[in-house]
Amino acid sequence: MTAPLLAVHGLEYRYPGGVVALRDLHLQVQKGRKLAILGANGSGKTTLLLHLNGTFRPTVGEIRLDGQPANYDRRSLIHWRRRVGLVLQEPDDQLFAATVEQDVSFGPLNLGLSEAETRERVSEALEALRIAPLAQRATHTLSFGQKKRAAIAGILAMRPEVLVLDEPTAGLDFHGVTHLLGVLRQLHEAGATLVFSTHDVELAYSWADEVAVFHEGTVRVQGEATAVLGDRELLQKARLCPPLLLEVAQALGLDAGALPRSREALLALLRERVG
Amino acid sequence: MRAIDHHAWTNRWRDRHPAEKLSPAFVLLLLTLLLPPLTTGPLVLLLTLLATVRGAGIPVRAFGSVMAVPAAFLLAGAPFLAVSVSFADGLDLSLSPEGGRLALETTVRALAAVSCLAFLSLTTPLADWTPLLRRMGAPASVVELILLMYRLIFVFAERALTGQRAQAARLGYARFDRSLYSTGLLAGNLFQRALDRARRLDIGLAARGYTGELRVLTPERPLSWLRLATAMLLVGLIGLMGGLLARAWP
Repeated sequence: MTAPLLAVHGLEYRYPGGVVALRDLHLQVQKGRKLAILGANGSGKTTLLLHLNGTFRPTVGEIRLDGQPANYDRRSLIHWRRRVGLVLQEPDDQLFAATVEQDVSFGPLNLGLSEAETRERVSEALEALRIAPLAQRATHTLSFGQKKRAAIAGILAMRPEVLVLDEPTAGLDFHGVTHLLGVLRQLHEAGATLVFSTHDVELAYSWADEVAVFHEGTVRVQGEATAVLGDRELLQKARLCPPLLLEVAQALGLDAGALPRSREALLALLRERVG
Repeated sequence: MRAIDHHAWTNRWRDRHPAEKLSPAFVLLLLTLLLPPLTTGPLVLLLTLLATVRGAGIPVRAFGSVMAVPAAFLLAGAPFLAVSVSFADGLDLSLSPEGGRLALETTVRALAAVSCLAFLSLTTPLADWTPLLRRMGAPASVVELILLMYRLIFVFAERALTGQRAQAARLGYARFDRSLYSTGLLAGNLFQRALDRARRLDIGLAARGYTGELRVLTPERPLSWLRLATAMLLVGLIGLMGGLLARAWP
């Protein structure tokens, strides 16, 4: 098997002051997969994600890119962040420019692209997030959902191989979530590797190929979504509850190969059984 | 401030090249300062008012409210210009015709000058200002500071507003002493948040390859030489009329 695109080995991280945030943590991000990092609020997911683009440096252990230990000098960090795009949970932490277009152009210009190329990237990213009509709007007049999309567009315009999103659906309404997931699906189909943190087991179940269960500063287990999320005992230890979809399917006595992954699939199954 | 910002982003002339607005306004400002104010001033006021209201489609009230604050200061200051004080034999306050004229001239001139700036700030959003400043040779760090302050003002105004509402919901402003206490708490909280926000913005920008320079695209705005020439012609006409009229009635 080829080396994972991004791998975390024996990571320990202590905050300045000595509090241990992460310990003995292992994680692999395989190319082209959708990985959910699942954990309760305040369990340290954000701290982990900040290691994935080199913002934080492990106290012990290392991060590997394509099997090579990561470096933290300026040049390596630029290269790293070009490949791994991190979208923060709070869009206001990321948006700084006066208009959406200007904000999205920031990343490509930092990559040293020409103005023409940057314009192309910007319109492509705005198109992908379906916010092209907002290009000339002032950043501070956007709604939360729009800000979130603008923040993602800003990372997307750098065309990262891996898109890391911290709680991407937090604070979005049903429509916002549907829209965002649609965009992420397209990106994934276009070849992007996705990593996202969430406390929502249903989202992890319906969306991820792989799930890493995060608890008390470490990844307890990483594996196929259906297998990991079917482990009731493990989830309870991590203060999580198994997804309803999966529980219903198990109650119906379905075998592992035929588990429905969406409510539509489950409803179709039920209708079949009843009718 | 929110109203100015709103109009700057939504007015009819928003997408025009900033030079089409900046150059006539700047020349008009120069004329106001150089030519006899009693004739030029009113003409300038009229032109900026028409340009803002008729041209850019901004409500008269918005123009009025931008002018109101400086106007109040000017009117409050004018009487002191009209009065001359001498200490020759004791304290002597006198109102001379020259003093009156000076007060009137200064007030009209200042009002006309302010109207040029009101026109600019109501019709030109910040996104258009920053590239222009950069091209005019302002240091990059100053321009970046303006950009960040502009963005953060709104983030913190929002925080301050919701914070204040939350305090008011728990009767934080029910009594005078409690109001002082609540305001102090809110201010302290905002300072903390400002530091926190700066730290997180740093992380957010670093994730996008920030290496010390906030470079963004300049909005593409075609410059219409025809419009610019028309505006300059109008401005020139105002100057000419102001000068000639002053000659007719010295």
